[in-house]
Parts: sequence; structure tokens; C-alpha cells
Amino acid sequence: MIPHWASQAVLPLLPLLALLGCSLQVPSDPEGTLDRVSGGVLRVGASIEGDLVHEDDGSVSGTEAALVEDFAESIDARVEWTVGGEEHLVEQVKSGDLDLVIGGITDQTPWVEEVGVTRGYPGIPGAEGRSLVMIVPPGENRFLSELERFLDERVA
Amino acid sequence: MTRFGHSELPDEQADALRRAKLIEWLSIGYTVCTVTVVAFVVGNSQAMRTAWIEDMLSTLPQIAFLIAVLFIRRPHTRKHPYGMHRAMGVGHLVGGVALVIVGGLLAYESISGLVALDHPTIGTVSLFGHTIWLGWLMVGVMVPIAIPPFFFARAKLRLSEQLNNKLLYADAAMSRADWQTNAASIVGVLGIGFGIWWLDGAAATFISAGILWDGLTNTRAAVLDLTDMRATTVDQKSPHPLIDEIEETLRELPWVREVGCRVRDQGHVMHVEAFVVPRDDTVSLDDLESAGHRVAALSWTMQDVAIIPASELPEELAPST
Repeated sequence: MIPHWASQAVLPLLPLLALLGCSLQVPSDPEGTLDRVSGGVLRVGASIEGDLVHEDDGSVSGTEAALVEDFAESIDARVEWTVGGEEHLVEQVKSGDLDLVIGGITDQTPWVEEVGVTRGYPGIPGAEGRSLVMIVPPGENRFLSELERFLDERVA
Repeated sequence: MTRFGHSELPDEQADALRRAKLIEWLSIGYTVCTVTVVAFVVGNSQAMRTAWIEDMLSTLPQIAFLIAVLFIRRPHTRKHPYGMHRAMGVGHLVGGVALVIVGGLLAYESISGLVALDHPTIGTVSLFGHTIWLGWLMVGVMVPIAIPPFFFARAKLRLSEQLNNKLLYADAAMSRADWQTNAASIVGVLGIGFGIWWLDGAAATFISAGILWDGLTNTRAAVLDLTDMRATTVDQKSPHPLIDEIEETLRELPWVREVGCRVRDQGHVMHVEAFVVPRDDTVSLDDLESAGHRVAALSWTMQDVAIIPASELPEELAPST
């Protein structure tokens, strides 16, 4: 049995935490991703995938890539593209070297156990009915929420 | 009066037993609801599987109690001369082991998450055109979910004392585990909201230590009772006060010189073997029978009382000199 004082200590903690919530952003990023990329550089990994993401003459385009450019603009950021294989890109987002990964990844992705994944968005042009997600660093919940809010407005 | 082995339960206990059965059914119904509701809110699969297994295991003590209740009413027979009261003792063991597994699973999950430095990810949901952080929704669901087991735990603890029932005592610990786990996950989700990623794992680790402790003490107590340790109070902390009362009662009889009792707990009622050394070489049947009745009258838990005249007390019961 938990000592009496301990179980009594959990309950008064709740309003304290709620109070803290008023003074802080909820949710917030433990590593401060959104604060860092806003007005700065958004490092995006892209794996090539049909109409969604393609590469011409060193520049990345496609419907999903355009969506990312628009999101970057909404937070006043400039996109820095890294093109590569999906697994390698996911490793980089996990280690903090990338902020976002795209490329026809669906809501069935097994990466959900390793990194942060947005909700699925079925309405992206060129997705051929697939419900697409984007990959973000694990636990960067404010950045994730900001991205999902943008996608809700744009494609939902 | 309610039939109870080869006797009948006093009104107070019969009423307590009825309420205990009701609260056990309520607990099972509650778990069925929470399993369903939580499935809609919590997205992350691995944590969800563990939570499900925990929820299902948490009904084991309740199921064990409801089954045991069916058996303890049975009359004593030639095949089952002690009745079936041990069913409660067996249920107590089931409850203790269930607590160990639930606490162990939770401890493993939360500690391995902390060690791996997992940053839990909680995104948003789209509700009626608004994008809302899923954490708020989780807290909104967890708060009402955490409340019923808080009251279940208190009621079960009270009933366990009224019914001298250790299975209910273990089940009270399970209900306590239920609400504390929920409270811990509320603290954890809010912690994630503020960017304190480790608070979820830390709160769960703290709570799981308590559940594991309850499980180990209950399992140990059940095993000790099943291996016929002297009867104790429901919390297993001290010898049952009835042992002294029985010896006092018998010692007051004019024909009795020495008394030694073996009292074992059959899960909720006592099996008493009282050795008496008479002052004279002869004892009348009347004296023996009325001595038995006096002991049985001490408490409703005196289900089986044997008064055994002896020329001297068994070695382990003799007063130490």
C-alpha cells in the first residue's frame, strides 16, 4: 500500500499543475522545436514518391512538398530539404537532425512506435485515396499540434 | 438469515455480504465500461495493450469473490467435511497474484520507458471543426474514470473487516490500484502537456511500486493462511484477537486447568481446535458440549469448533515457561 501521505500528495498536485498550465503553453515542446523553427529554418526530409514528392534539378516539389512549403510560410520559416530513403530520414528525425519527414507515408506506418506521427489526412492531391501522415520528432507536442492545426485547415 | 456452510449468517454480515456482491458486480461493470471508453481515446498501441491486460486482470479478484460466494454457502458433507470456506482463501491467492502481475507490468512498462528516454507523443484531434490537443480529452475522460474505484476501494475495505474477508481486502487494494493508476496518468498527461516528458513514467513507476507491494503482501498472506498459519487480522499485522478470547472463555470454566488453541483462518471463517486439560481425570460430555457452544457464541466466524480433552497440551501450544 502506498503511504498515506503519498496518495494525499497526488491530489493537491492536480490544481497546481492546472495553474502552471495557465502560465505555459500547453502542449509544449520539451526540445523547443516550434520556437526554434519559427522565423528560422525547417529541416525537412523527403523520400521520393510519385506525384507527392519529386526532385528536379536539386529542388524538391510535388503536392505534399508544396504543403510543407505552405506550412513553413505560415510559421515564417524557410525549408531546407534533405532527400533520402525513408528509414534513414526517420533515424535523423529521431536523433534531432531533422524536424519533419514526408513522402507518401500512410497512417498504417509502423514508425508510430519510434517517432511522432500526425493524424492521417486522406485529402492530399496525388495520394490516390491513401490517408497520409507526416513524421515529427517524438514528444514535440506543440510543434505536432501546430502542424496538425495547419493540415486541418488546409486539407481536411 | 442467510445459509452459510452448516450455519447461518447474522443479519449484519448477511447484509454486508449482499453489499459486497453488489459492489463486485459494479466493479466488473465499471471495468467493462472503462475498457470500452479508453479504447476510443488512447491511440498509442503498445501502451494500450498493456492497459487492457491490466484492466482485464483487475477483474480477477472480483470474479474469484463471486465464484467463492457460491461455494461457501454449501452445506458440509461427508466428502467436504469442512465445508467450502477455503474457496475464499484460494480467491485471496488469486487476488494477490493478480496484483503482482498488474503492478509488475506497470512497473516494467514505465521504467523501460524512462530508461529509453521515450518522449511520449500526444497530438491533436479534430472535434466539430476545432483542433484540440488530445491530452485535454484524455484528462477529461480520466477524471470521471478515476472516481468510482476510489469509492469502491473504501467500501471494500470496510466490508472486508465486517466479513473478516481477506479476498475483499486484496480486492480493495486492486480498486486502490485502479484509481491511483488513473490519477497517475492524469498527472502524466498534464506533465507531457507542459513538456515534462518524464513525469508520465515517473508517476507510473511510483504507483506501480505501491501496487507491487500490495500484491506481494497479499500473496504472502494468502499462502501463509493456506498453509495453516495461526489466524490473523485481515491486514495480517497481528494475531487474531479471537484466539485470546477463546482461551479466556475456556479458562474461566471451573473444570478447566489449561487451554491451548489451534485457530486457522479458512479465508473468512475460523476453524478452532481447542485443547483443554481438565482438573480431574474425568470430563462430562455436557461440559464439553457447553464449552463448545460458549466458544461458538463468541463470533459468527467460529464455524467449526472442536474441544479436545487432553492430559497435557501439545508442545507448541503449551505456555512458554
